Amino acid sequence: MTAFANRRLRVLLAKLGMDTHTIGVTVIAHALRDAGFEVIFTGLKQTAEMVANTAVQEDVDVIGVSSLSAAHMKHLPKLAEFLRQKGAGDKLLIAGGVVPLEDIAQLERAGVQKIFTMGTETKVIVDYLQTWWAAKLAAEQSGG
Amino acid sequence: MTIPHLKAQSEKRTAPATPSATTPLAQAFKEWQQNTQSPEVTKRGERQTPFKTQALHWPVHPLYTPLDLAATGFDYQRDVGFPGEYPYTRSVSPNGNRSALWTMAQVTGFGRGADWAKRARFMLDQGLQGLILEHDLATTNGYDSDDPLAEGEVGRAGLAIDSLEDLERAFDLPFDRLKYLMSVCNAPQPVNLAMIIAALEAKGVDPKQFVLHIVNGILIEYTCVGRYIYPPKHGLRIATDCFEYMIEHHPNWAPISIISAQLYAARANPVQELAFSLSIALQHIDALLERGHSIDKVAPYFHFVTGIDMDFFEGICKLRAFRKIWARLMRERYGATRPEAMKVRVMSSPGTMSLTLQQPLNNISRLAIMATACALGGVGETMTTPLHDEAHALPADEAIRVGAAIQHIVAHETGVADTIDPLAGSYYVETLTRQIEDAVMTEIDKIMDMGGALAAIERGYFQRELAREQCDRNRALEDGSRKLVGVNHLVHAEERREIPIFKLADEVEAEQIERLQALRKRRDQKTVDAALEAVREAARSGTNLVPPCLVAVKAHATHGEICNAMRDVFGTHHPDAQTAGV
Repeated sequence: MTAFANRRLRVLLAKLGMDTHTIGVTVIAHALRDAGFEVIFTGLKQTAEMVANTAVQEDVDVIGVSSLSAAHMKHLPKLAEFLRQKGAGDKLLIAGGVVPLEDIAQLERAGVQKIFTMGTETKVIVDYLQTWWAAKLAAEQSGG
Repeated sequence: MTIPHLKAQSEKRTAPATPSATTPLAQAFKEWQQNTQSPEVTKRGERQTPFKTQALHWPVHPLYTPLDLAATGFDYQRDVGFPGEYPYTRSVSPNGNRSALWTMAQVTGFGRGADWAKRARFMLDQGLQGLILEHDLATTNGYDSDDPLAEGEVGRAGLAIDSLEDLERAFDLPFDRLKYLMSVCNAPQPVNLAMIIAALEAKGVDPKQFVLHIVNGILIEYTCVGRYIYPPKHGLRIATDCFEYMIEHHPNWAPISIISAQLYAARANPVQELAFSLSIALQHIDALLERGHSIDKVAPYFHFVTGIDMDFFEGICKLRAFRKIWARLMRERYGATRPEAMKVRVMSSPGTMSLTLQQPLNNISRLAIMATACALGGVGETMTTPLHDEAHALPADEAIRVGAAIQHIVAHETGVADTIDPLAGSYYVETLTRQIEDAVMTEIDKIMDMGGALAAIERGYFQRELAREQCDRNRALEDGSRKLVGVNHLVHAEERREIPIFKLADEVEAEQIERLQALRKRRDQKTVDAALEAVREAARSGTNLVPPCLVAVKAHATHGEICNAMRDVFGTHHPDAQTAGV
């Protein structure tokens, strides 16, 4: 095992704009911590730029946005763009919450790599992140 | 069950049902268990081990008898009494719903002022007499529509209000048919209140002809949902200012509502919901008493909105216990003497927690069951029904019609409202009502030991308790120990029923911003600046914030600008993850 393999996955959970519903993000935060990940929460009423700055400062691996308002189509593409601008385009950007199926393709094109719709079980998200993390660690190791 | 001391209490209270007593009934009960029930259980087993209540996870016995009541020391006159008399367990109204049914209301609010007025008129045409005005998230959180944070939210979750002109457009309503208007906007309360007063004045509406109800129980927002602006102690001061202004200038209006349904929707169990919301009410009361008001003057104004979800009996017993606990707190804790101070005012609402995205028509049956539970529990003054398509999107017209119909069906077709408190005397209902009462009193004592609701909020106690309930409920749904039809039970993967979804046109936001910016150009900026400085000065000096806000809205200072003037003095609230419970 290398130093990389011992590193815990760092996840920034974020709420963008005026969406103040926190049950989803709370449940996810606790499930991810139970899975052994390190979880940081931005708090409420964040702009896309604020979240991108926090992601860089905290050097997280994953940014997870909880969205329960209709503003996801405004904020999420902006967040992806800010992350690229700040040289953090390699971080995993995922989202979950109330996202209509018809919006998903457009968000994926904008750089949101995975969207978990309402009713997704927490273990599905944990499995997804563990798989992604294992692949990333393997790539870091083989890439030197 | 997640509160250890409550668990202990519930076990202690429910245990005596297996009697060691030697009365003839106790003997007969024992014989029934041994000779009649037990062989059946041995032969066929039981569906669940153990049976537990839906929300509190308290043990549920196979049978409740007079022995259970005897074990709680049940005394009809002390514990239940008569309608309209202390302790009001049966009803605060002397004749229940026999003289008049509850007021039937529904939430509405979206788009621009004119959109809202059109929708509100449609709802009044459906037989509703009361309306609940929801602002959009930008307004509720104290921002103008052109703030970067507001992008994508303008007019979406409710009505967008930037200036007095917006509200004047929304108030294009038949006020002669409107008995009741509730405004849910909370954190920017002095601005909201000032806007409403000024808009009514501009429309020539007599403020005495209907009841304006503002939410104003701001401390709830710091425990869940998070529509706060300023640090909690300043939030409390602002709420107290608005309360004082209203009882002085508009004594027929309703200056506070503690939306305990919000706690409920955030997964509080019935004991937490009552204990947290009541201790928050006590904090608001203490703030008013500190300003020299008497309990008999302020207590009658307190109002609660509670939710009844699918935990049928716990919901009914919660409403019954609610009335009794309030009466006890007002009399025992504060020495209230006026009956009005001891009669709790409640609006009840079927909950949204069990409404599912999947198989949305099932939600109509859930709402009917929950509305029936509200009626059986005594409703309160008003009932509001959420809509079966809420989980999908903002409600469509058909859902509004069905939502209104549900209340009429319960009221007119079932007869449940025709006798007062019809479940009183049920061995189970009386036992559970008493258990809930005892557990709530214990939890309130615990909160008081922390220094009260404000201190409990500042240290994150409520928030962490709720977070744990949220995680527990989610786990129970994921592991199947709690069944929800369409979600983890009777799931039909192939069935996908489309229901009409309300869409708001994109130009709403652009138009709203355009109108706001045009207003800023044409108004007298000097007057606005002076008015905003007066708001800052009141915030600093501690004089009532409503009068300077009234001057500011009339000068067409915008909603966000006035909220910002108070931000300059009070700062903003941004709790860390530990305090937020996340």
